[in-house]
Amino acid sequence: MIIAKDLCKTFKDKKRGTVRAVDNVSFECKNGEVFGLLGPNGAGKTTTLRLLSTSLKPTSGTATICGTDAKTQPEKVRSLIGFLSGNTGLYGRLTAREMVAYFGKLYSMTKPEIDKRIDILFTMLDMHDFADGRNDKLSSGMKQKVSIARSVIHDPPVMIFDEPTTGLDVMSSRTIVKFIRQCRDAGKCVIFSTHIMSEAMRLCDRVAIIHNGRIFADSTPTDLLAQTGTDNLEDAFIKIVGE
Amino acid sequence: MIVRVRIVHAIFKKEMTDTLRDRRTLVFMLLVPIAAIPLLLMALSSLMTSQIAKEMERVSEVVVQGLEYLPDTLRSELIGSDDLTVVSETQYRAENPTANSDITEDLRLGGFDVLMVVPKAFDRAIEIESPTEIELFYDEAEMKSEFAVSKIKTVLDPYRERIIQARLDQRDISGDIIRPFEIVSENVASMQKVAGEKLGAMLPYLIIIMCFMGAMYPAIDLAAGEKERGTLETLLVSPATRGEFVVGKYLVILTTGITAAILSMGSLTFSLNYMLEDIVGKMNVGRMLAIEFDTSTVILILMIVLPLAGIFAAILLSVSIFARSFKEAQSYITGIYMVLILPAFVSFLPGIEMSYRMALIPIVNVSLIIKDAISGQVEWNYVITAFVSTIVLAALTLVAARKWFERESVLFRM
Repeated sequence: MIIAKDLCKTFKDKKRGTVRAVDNVSFECKNGEVFGLLGPNGAGKTTTLRLLSTSLKPTSGTATICGTDAKTQPEKVRSLIGFLSGNTGLYGRLTAREMVAYFGKLYSMTKPEIDKRIDILFTMLDMHDFADGRNDKLSSGMKQKVSIARSVIHDPPVMIFDEPTTGLDVMSSRTIVKFIRQCRDAGKCVIFSTHIMSEAMRLCDRVAIIHNGRIFADSTPTDLLAQTGTDNLEDAFIKIVGE
Repeated sequence: MIVRVRIVHAIFKKEMTDTLRDRRTLVFMLLVPIAAIPLLLMALSSLMTSQIAKEMERVSEVVVQGLEYLPDTLRSELIGSDDLTVVSETQYRAENPTANSDITEDLRLGGFDVLMVVPKAFDRAIEIESPTEIELFYDEAEMKSEFAVSKIKTVLDPYRERIIQARLDQRDISGDIIRPFEIVSENVASMQKVAGEKLGAMLPYLIIIMCFMGAMYPAIDLAAGEKERGTLETLLVSPATRGEFVVGKYLVILTTGITAAILSMGSLTFSLNYMLEDIVGKMNVGRMLAIEFDTSTVILILMIVLPLAGIFAAILLSVSIFARSFKEAQSYITGIYMVLILPAFVSFLPGIEMSYRMALIPIVNVSLIIKDAISGQVEWNYVITAFVSTIVLAALTLVAARKWFERESVLFRM
C-alpha cells in the first residue's frame, strides 16, 4: 500500500532557478494493483518514484509505504520496496549469484535465507544455466532477469518500476511485463512509470496522468477514454493536459 | 546514524572481489609498485655505465704551460698518448684567438679539459735531483675533466717511478725499500655517488605516488563507476545506510593504496639490497646511498603512510562520487595528482629540513619523514607531530566524504 500526500520536490538549478519537479502530487496504490504514472520525459515521474523509494527527500508532503513514513523511517521503507528501472545496471565482474546474494546481505538476510530465496527465484526466472558466469558476458535478456532477481531478493510487498522497459529489446521487455503481472497476482502493490501509452493501457489497473510535476487525472484506463471521448490514451493524454 | 559492521563487511567483501577482478586495478595496485623501482634502477645504471664508457673513450684535451721545460722523453710520451691531445699554451692561444687572458677561465668554461703547469727548468730540476712539482688544474664538476686527470696520471706516474728506480739503482738500493707495502685502492666514480643520493631523494616521492596510484582506479570504479553502470540507485534504495557504503568503499580504497605502498617498499628493499649491489659492484651500497633500510624503518614508514592513504582514499572517494562518469572522475583525479606531485617532490629539494611547521603540512611532512627515516635521522618529536596531524586530517576528510554522500545534488548529479 502506497499513499502519497501533497508531495512536493523543488530543485535549485543554476539556469532555471528553482524548479518544482513534483508539485502537490497525491495518490494511492493498493495491494494487488498496478498503478501507472503516465507522462512525457521530464514530467516528474522519476522524481516522484525517487521520493517514494526514499532516495530523495520531499520538500514537503508525505509518502507512506505500508503504514511507514518515508521521511522519518527511510531505512524501514527501503526494506519494504523493490526497485527496478530500465537503466539499472549490473556489476559486470560479479556473477549473477554473487550479485543477488550481495543485495540479500544489504537487506540483512542470513546466508540460508539468501540461498533458499536465490534457488526459488532462479528457478522461477529460469536462470540456473547462467547463474555462475560473469554478468558482463550475459545477453540483455539474461541481464534483465538478474536485475529482476536482485530487486525481489527480499520479497518486498511493494514494487517500484521506473520506466522498466525503456531501452530494452522486445524479448527483455516481455520478460519485464510478465514479471509485473506476476507481482500483481502475488498481491503486491505495484507502481510503475512509463511514457509509452500502449504499455500503460495494457498493464495498468489505474493510471495517473502526470505533466509538469502535477497530476491531471487519476482513474482506470477505460474511464479515462470514456471521460475524454477518445479511443486511445495518447489522444486522452493530449486532451487532459490541454495542449 | 549507525554503521553496522555486518553490512560494512558485506560491502567490503563484494567491492574487494569486484576490484580484484579488474585488470586495470591490479596493474596499478600490484604490477607498477613491484616493477617500477627495479626497472628505474636498471635504466639508471645502464645510463650511467654507458655515460662513463663514453667519457672514458673520449680523447682529452690538455693545455700545457711550459711544455718546453718537460724532459724530452716525457714530452714525447704525453704527445704520443692516444688518449690525450697535448698542446702548448702558445699553440692553444694561436688556435683560439678569443681565449681569455687567464687561461684557467677557459678551462672553467670547458674550452679544454686539463691545464698542466710545468715550472721553469723542470727538466733541470729532475736532473740535479732538486724537488719540483707539476700542477694539474681541472674542473671537478665535469666528469670529462676528472677523467683527463687520471689519463695524464697514467703517463706521469710510470715516468716518476722510472726516475725513482734510476736514482735508487745509482745508489745501489733495492726498490722495495721505499715500498714496504702496497695500497690498492679503487676509484669510486662520483657519478655513482650522485646517482645514489638522487635515488635516496626519490624514494619518499615514489612511495607516496604509488600509494595514490594504487587507490586511484578502485576509487573511480567504486563511486563514479556505480553511477555509470546505473547501480548507484539500487544501492540507495537498499536499507544499507549511506554511512555504511562510505565506510565499506573507503576501506577497500584504503586497502589497495596501502597494498601498493607496501609492495613498492618491498620492491625497494629488494632492489637496494640485491640489484644495486650487482650493478655498482663490491662497494658498500648502504653507506654510499646514506640509506638505512631495516625492519624498524619499514614499520615507521608504513605507520606514517597509513593515515596518508586514508586521506587519499577519502578525497578520491569524494571526487569520484561527485563525477558523472568514469571519464569525468579520471580527469578530476589527474588534476589532483598534479597538485599532489608538488608537496611529494619536496624530498628532492636539498635545502628543506624538517621543522614543526613542515611537520604540519600534509604530504610534505610524510615525504620528509620517509626521507629522514631512510637516512637514519628519525626525530620523534617531528614524527609524532606529523603522525597526529595526518591522522586528524584523515579523520576530517572521512567525515567530509560521509557528509558529501548524504547530498542529493552529489548523488544524483547525472
